[in-house]
Amino acid sequence: MQRSLDLDDIQGNVTRAYGRYAFPFSRSFFLNIQDCGKGRQFVDAVRKKVTTSATWTEATKPRCTVNIGFTFFGLYKLLVPQRTLRDMPEEFISGMRDRAFLLGDRDPGKTEAEAKGWDAHWDPIWQQNRIGDGDIGNDNVHIWVSFNAQLKELGKAEPVDELEKECQWLRDLCDHLAGGVRIIPHNGRAGDQEYQEGSVLFVQRGDKLIPTPNEHFGFTDAIGDPVFRGQLSDAEAKDAVIGTGKWMNAKTGWQPIEPGEFVLGHPDESQELPPIARPPEFMTNGTFMSYRKLHQNVGSFEAVVAEEARTYAKLQAIDEPEARETLRAKMCGRWSDGVPLAQAPTYAEWQAMSEKLGFNVADPVQALWNKLNYIRSPEASNFRYADDMLGYKTPLGAHIRRMNTRDYMDPLNQTGIDPATGCQFANPNATHGLNKRRRILRRGLPYGPPPGAEKTDETEQGVAMISMCASLQRQFEFVQQQWIQYGLDFHQGNDTCPMLGNHHQHKRFSIQSDPASGKPPFIMSKLRTFVECRGGDYFFVPSLTSLRMMAMGIIDPT
Amino acid sequence: MADLDSGHIFLTTLAPIKGVNAESGTGISHEQRVRIALAQLPTALQSPATQGIGINSPLARNRRTHLARMFVLSDIVYNGRNPQNPLVATAKGIDPVDPLPIDQLSTAYLVFCADVDAIVNDGDPLPHNLTKAQQKAVRASYARKLWDTMGDELQDIYQNCVGFEGVKTADDFAAYLDKCHVETTMPFHDYYLDLPKFNELNTKLLLGAVLVPAAIAVLSLLLRIFGMLHLPMLGFSTFWTFVVAAVVTVVVALLAIAYALRNGAKPLPPAKHDDLPSVLKGLYVQQTFSDFVIDHQAAEPNELHRAFGDYLARHRPENKMSPTQTPGVISIRAEGGITL
Repeated sequence: MQRSLDLDDIQGNVTRAYGRYAFPFSRSFFLNIQDCGKGRQFVDAVRKKVTTSATWTEATKPRCTVNIGFTFFGLYKLLVPQRTLRDMPEEFISGMRDRAFLLGDRDPGKTEAEAKGWDAHWDPIWQQNRIGDGDIGNDNVHIWVSFNAQLKELGKAEPVDELEKECQWLRDLCDHLAGGVRIIPHNGRAGDQEYQEGSVLFVQRGDKLIPTPNEHFGFTDAIGDPVFRGQLSDAEAKDAVIGTGKWMNAKTGWQPIEPGEFVLGHPDESQELPPIARPPEFMTNGTFMSYRKLHQNVGSFEAVVAEEARTYAKLQAIDEPEARETLRAKMCGRWSDGVPLAQAPTYAEWQAMSEKLGFNVADPVQALWNKLNYIRSPEASNFRYADDMLGYKTPLGAHIRRMNTRDYMDPLNQTGIDPATGCQFANPNATHGLNKRRRILRRGLPYGPPPGAEKTDETEQGVAMISMCASLQRQFEFVQQQWIQYGLDFHQGNDTCPMLGNHHQHKRFSIQSDPASGKPPFIMSKLRTFVECRGGDYFFVPSLTSLRMMAMGIIDPT
Repeated sequence: MADLDSGHIFLTTLAPIKGVNAESGTGISHEQRVRIALAQLPTALQSPATQGIGINSPLARNRRTHLARMFVLSDIVYNGRNPQNPLVATAKGIDPVDPLPIDQLSTAYLVFCADVDAIVNDGDPLPHNLTKAQQKAVRASYARKLWDTMGDELQDIYQNCVGFEGVKTADDFAAYLDKCHVETTMPFHDYYLDLPKFNELNTKLLLGAVLVPAAIAVLSLLLRIFGMLHLPMLGFSTFWTFVVAAVVTVVVALLAIAYALRNGAKPLPPAKHDDLPSVLKGLYVQQTFSDFVIDHQAAEPNELHRAFGDYLARHRPENKMSPTQTPGVISIRAEGGITL
């Protein structure tokens, strides 16, 4: 019998993307520890409220969740033994600012001297982070505390009252600790916000505000999170794993990914235990998290798509609205409502599919419901790329193809046209071999102006992106560096991800075309950087056991 | 034979660095001096920092070097005591407290590795196979090329190596480097556009050649055991048939193994467009042509035809030597990135 994960010991945000469990609001607080004793008191107080991964019913489901994570210097401030700290992964010790070069946040086309001031556009809280480790007078981020709250009432964009109550509890706790642990109130562009807010986007429908699964460019987001063994009950996992686990072969089908890819202390996809610091209890059932505030330049995105669409419309002999929608879909790999290009490669097919799925019905609540049902169904995730090695349907450099390569990278795949069928090779035996060690859990939410407000490059909107994985270096950083900011694995040379990539130097995105269509391929060549990091850091998200050990100060690495 | 593969020579040379006490003087060991000379050697203009320096690698002064690396091998890594079965060790009377001898290199070495076109004249097509003498000629030709293009730098580095005192000319250096040469066992190749026909082993034939006499041997033995002294119809002695068939099996098996090993050691053929001038020209055409495509998206056929004619005349895709991307730069847009 397969041993299940100890869900009571794992923090709840590791196994659940709260947004999908009807928690549309979040607040992220960042705190600084000045005094180790007070820090331990703080951890002890918070750990008793932490939401775990334990199964909940509608009756026991919390109205507002509480979770916590620590930067390397947070652990250092809590006097976690040096022997334990020294076993920590180097990227976690270095922190996100130090890794800016490989994450694409610092222009790799500049030397260190030329790049001086590269973080000037970061939010003040992150600009001032990781400056020395002295006790007094710095605002280094040591702790991340996050609350996720349910909706108060359908039709209004308001969280339940418990959210503010929990925030007040946190403030009171810090007041009680008299500066030993304090909230750093420098969030936001101007550095004047106490916390980083997150909220799904609402749209006005009549007199109602309806929550949507969209992000600011207008795409449906948060669809294909990986499913791992032990995360869900067998009954839930059966369907959930389709398109989101790993494809083994026709006989075994979709299987959940091994838990060690996401939860430390468990075997991973290499059939090994990922390395952890001593004592084992300190890191087992914990995970690592990358917090990144990603600003979206909505104005630039709309302008570039509109400009490129004019040439594309002429070239393809279609009207500009269709050209715009098609270019957007080709950049993303999904149409704006989440239907993958792999299933509906053309505009006409997409229109037909949206109609069939009921996305355009008159009742906005019903339309939302139809959409949510679809994106949570296996259909939205159950597709592959190995039957489209030439990128005729989903371009080789499209966003979702880079983020989750599925079976595209199987080294035994045949590329080209099958002389027997005249179509691309079907590659029916392709597997997820080189993909399953690069998956991450996405746990963030968008932030931004209220519904209906105008969005430009200057207005503040984006995604408070949270990625969780067992190895930041092997998973998060690899995807960020090799698949977002570089394109060789997709035969794209230096071309970066059309949506998330840094386009200061590399402004191109190739859209392949099926020669049978008689249409030429198209190269977008005027891309600008649409998504910019505004700061962030790496955090360790400990287990409940580990939180208790930290609170008690009894971590014995010997 | 692994030095040669896919039309490239995977050169590996180890030059012993003079010992600490070989010459007295400045208090800087020869190993230190080699490290200093290597540290001062500019790398190719392939990162913003190196582009800022603006001095290209001397190895980019020729059009044969695909990749090159020079480093100091101080010593081998000590991996601790050799593991052994404690029962066997006890029986042999080995006391695990006694230290074992530690393997060390007798001196530090300067290692120079390079992946180069296996040719003797720039622009020659890549060969499929070369005799030992021909390979030696390729290595010597490359060494002379290096001496002619970066003799001063080589002098700085190699003067700290044993036996380099007499090296004054390109031919001397070729002879010296040949003395330092060691066979490469694991070449690495990354250029195949289309997979060539590999040296596949006919395993069925080889297995048949071994299994048929083996089967006859086993059968003859069984018949002998069950009392048949002669083979039915043929009348041969079952004993001698067994002996002969067994000997044939062993001989054929040994020959098959030797054949398989030799087949494995055969070099693979060069890939299409695999020589450095073609690779550089490929990079050049890729960059200029993608600009051309973008600039002429949705152009009228006549205009496109005329423009493409201009493109061919200007960039001469058929001429791999020029115009082309300069060796050692990251793109044709870099300063000095184009060689006309």
